[in-house]
Order: sequence, then structure tokens, then C-alpha cells
Amino acid sequence: MIRLAVRTMILLAAIVVLNFLIPRLLPGDPLDALAAGEHESGLAPLSAAARENLRQFYGLDRDLVGQFTHYLSSLARGDLGWSFAKRQPVRDLLAARLPWTLGLVGAAALSAALLGTALGLAAAWWGGRVDHALVSLASSIEAIPDFLIGIGFLLVFAVGLRWFPLSGGRTAFEAGAPAAIDTLWHLTLPYLALTLSSFAIFLLLTRHSTAETTRAPFVAVARAKGLRPRTVALRHVLPNALPPIANLLALRLGAVLSGAIVIERVYGVPGLGLLAFEAIRERDYPVLQSVFLLTGAAVVLATAAVDAILRAVRPYDAR
Amino acid sequence: MLASVLLGLFVVLGIAGPSLAPHDPRVAIGRPLQPPGGRAVLGTNDIGQDVLSEWLIGARATLIAAIGVTGISTALAWLVGVTAGLWSRAALPLTSLGDLVLALPAIPLYLLILALVGPNQATIVLTLGLLSWPAFARIVQATVREVRQAPYVEAAAALGASPVRVAVHHVVPATFGLLATKVVLTVRFAIFAEASLAFLGLGDPGAKSWGAMLGTAFNYPLLFARGAWLWWMAPPALAIIAVVWATSVLTMERPRG
Repeated sequence: MIRLAVRTMILLAAIVVLNFLIPRLLPGDPLDALAAGEHESGLAPLSAAARENLRQFYGLDRDLVGQFTHYLSSLARGDLGWSFAKRQPVRDLLAARLPWTLGLVGAAALSAALLGTALGLAAAWWGGRVDHALVSLASSIEAIPDFLIGIGFLLVFAVGLRWFPLSGGRTAFEAGAPAAIDTLWHLTLPYLALTLSSFAIFLLLTRHSTAETTRAPFVAVARAKGLRPRTVALRHVLPNALPPIANLLALRLGAVLSGAIVIERVYGVPGLGLLAFEAIRERDYPVLQSVFLLTGAAVVLATAAVDAILRAVRPYDAR
Repeated sequence: MLASVLLGLFVVLGIAGPSLAPHDPRVAIGRPLQPPGGRAVLGTNDIGQDVLSEWLIGARATLIAAIGVTGISTALAWLVGVTAGLWSRAALPLTSLGDLVLALPAIPLYLLILALVGPNQATIVLTLGLLSWPAFARIVQATVREVRQAPYVEAAAALGASPVRVAVHHVVPATFGLLATKVVLTVRFAIFAEASLAFLGLGDPGAKSWGAMLGTAFNYPLLFARGAWLWWMAPPALAIIAVVWATSVLTMERPRG
């Protein structure tokens, strides 16, 4: 447990440091980029004096150590900078967008793990044709990028059948259904698309891990005792096949999050992904940096949480 | 069989696509969003450019991403894994670095880096290639460590083979069998990542690519209303799926080893 805590702290610290270093190590001057953005948007280019003021305002005139302490103290105060494009503090932007992404990622990651595990068990249990069909299904879905799954669902269920809205997170200017139901209705397709694009790997791992457990001596003993196959499967095989699956859930959170970023763009869900998409078009670097910082920290913490639960439930399996 | 044909076609398109294109994809050849037919065999896009030519030329960006990223990532992963497996002093720093890279959320990190350096084919390939090695490096390292304990390696050392000879002739070859899987997974990763980045607006603005076609099309507000998705989005979408599917089928059919 202590090792896990130390590891998590180190990873968090590394993300904070990287977030500071990436823009500084990469070639280019942020003010050049800012000036180019202003130029493209048709505004007058920055004057030399304005540049110098900006440089001072962001503390870029100090040496690297000075900049780093400035960055750390702002971070400690919860100050993530100022969004050039949206003209408001980045912190407020993130606070408004984070719940959407967290909800989407959490729901989809859990559903993908459950669906994949159930189908993987089915494949291992029945074998033969069922196994073949499920594995082919999983590997075909693996060949489709997540945003195309999203667009496909959009075409069928929103454009074709008109069951779900085309985009957004809420119906604007309309007091029809209660807000919560309206939001769920908007999030159904993104949630389904993200679940579908994430479940295949759970199916393949469960199938593999169940097959390995089935060959273990204690399963042969259980069978020899005359237990019904069902009992053997549910009481003996399943619990022992679960830990690798929980581990995988922890490992895949980052991937599901990356999927959510793209899926949010497809469906216009107002989460961190759509925020990042808007920030790319507007060259809004403070926003992109904060999205990286926040999602990195969230993934590290969530992974640690899953690990901790796993260790608490089955201490002897923890590596 | 079908998979090999598809992959062969993809490579041919990637190499010869630009010379096969019937029109210059930067020049309008008809009305905007013209359905397939006439001069535009696959119709036109929102500014009247030929979709077929865009598609043919777009194959190259995908092929470059697939080959470049897979080459860099596989070589780096293999080098790191073998080094960490053979040289115990390097193991801790290398695995820690790998763990860190593995813990970072991929897409937000790529978005930040590419927005800062400016997306072009070289920076995209470098970013994806340099950040995708840790998972496979771990597997190579584990294999090297396992093989070093194997009886045949002990036997070779007992027969008087030098440590270098043991490493080069007996330990390292054991990792070659793993490379095929890595190549397939990375080809898939590279194609998906390149397309997703282009879709999010961080593709090479100077090069046509399948992902960029999908991104531009999806940004067009009347895409679904006018049915243009059928000829504008389906070709690049199906091409991406076909290439990734073919790559994974080919390795599954490979004889084990």
C-alpha cells in the first residue's frame, strides 16, 4: 500500500513537472504562436511593448527556476492560467467541463469491463462456434477507430432513425423533459459508442484468463468432487479469473479517456474533449496544458484507486 | 488471401496514389457536394474538389504514419527492452521512464505537443513513435530476463562462450518472435492515432489524408442533411477499417512462432 502511494505521488509530481517542461523544451516561443493566432484572427500584431508586458505577466522573463516556482505557486492556488480565446480563467472552464467527461469515461469504462467480461466468460464457457463468433466480433470492432464507431451510431440512430439528438449535451431553449433525463438522452449514443469501442480487449483477456484458470489443478479437484459444472464455473473459475481483468480496467482508463476526447467531438458533448478540440482551433495553449494536467492526474489517481481496491479485496494477488 | 490483397493495394496506393489521381485535389472540378458521376467518379467535397483524387493521395499520409511510427516505436521498444533485460543497472531508470510514459493520457499529450510544435508529417510520426514504446519494451525485457535463466543459455556460458556471445547469439534471438505482434499492434495504433489527430484538427495541413478528409467532412454542417457523407466520408472510413482489419488478420493467420 505504501509503495502504491509513493508510486502515485511520484507519477503525479512527474506529470506536474512535465506539464511545465513540455512547452519550454519544445521549439518555438509561445508569444510567437499567440501573435500568429492574433494575426490570423485579423487583429493587429502585438507590439514589442505588448509582448514585453505579456512576457512579464506570464513570468517568462525570469529564469527557469523562477518560472518553475511561479508555476508551482499558481498551481497551489488553483490558478491554471487564463484562456486567451474564451477570456475566462482556465479553472472555471475545466470545472464546468470535467463532470461530463468523468461521467462518460466512468460509465463507459465500467460497462465495457462488464460487457467484455460477460462475453469473454460466454466464449470460454461454450467454446466452439460461440467462441469463434465472439472473438471474430471483437477483432472486427477492434479494427474500427472510435470516432468512426461514433459517426456510425450517429448516422444510424440520430440521422436515420431519429431516436437520439445529433449533438450537444442538453436541449437548448426548451422546457420539455426534466434536465436529467434530457442529458441522459443526449449522452446515450456517446456512452454506447465509447463502450463498444472499449470492450473488445476485456473479452479477449477474460477468455484467455478463464481458459488458464480452467486448467488449474484446483478446478480439476472441484470437478472430481462431483460439483455441478455451473458451480465450478461461477464459484471456482470466475473469482480466480477476475484479478487480471480488474488490473486491465486500471490500465485501460487512459485509453478510454482518449476515446472520450474523440467521441465528445463527434457528439458535441461539452466535456474536456470538446474543450480541447476548441482549444486546438483557437491555439489556446493554457487550456490544452490544463486538459493534459487534469486528465493525467485523474488517470493516475483512478488507476491507483482501482489498484488499492484490488489489493484490499485480494491481498495475495497484488504484485 | 483477401487481407494480403487489401494490404498490397494499400501499399500500391500509398506509393502510386498521387500519380493515379485523375484530378488535382486542390482544384475545384465541379459544383460543391456533387454526387458521384461524370468527371467526379466519387463526387466532390464542400468546395468542389474531386473526392477520388483526395482519397488516392490521402493513402500516402496513412502509409507514412504506419511505416514511420511502427519503425521508430518497434526499434526503440526492442532496444530499451533488450538493454534493460541485459544490463541490470539500466533496468530501473528505463522501466521508470516507461511507466511514466505509459501513465500519461495519450491523446491529451499528443494534442498538447502537436499544437505546440505544429503538426506536420514528421512531427506527427516522431511524436507517436517516440511515445509508444513502453508496453512492448516491458515484454521484451521480461523475455530477456527469462531466457537468461534458461538451461541452454547456462549451457552456452558453461561451455565458455563470452557474455557478449551469449547475449548476441542466444538471448537476443529469443525476442525476435515477439516482433510480429508488436508490428501489427503498432500499425493499428499509428493509423488510428494519425486519423484521430487529423479528425481533431491536428493533421498535417499541407497533406491530404484519410483522417483529414473525415475531419473536414464532419466539420461541414450540412453533411448529413445532403447525404454527402455517403461519397465523402465512406471511402476514407472504409479504407482505414480495411487496412487495419487486413493487418490483424494477416498476423492471426501466420503460423505460430
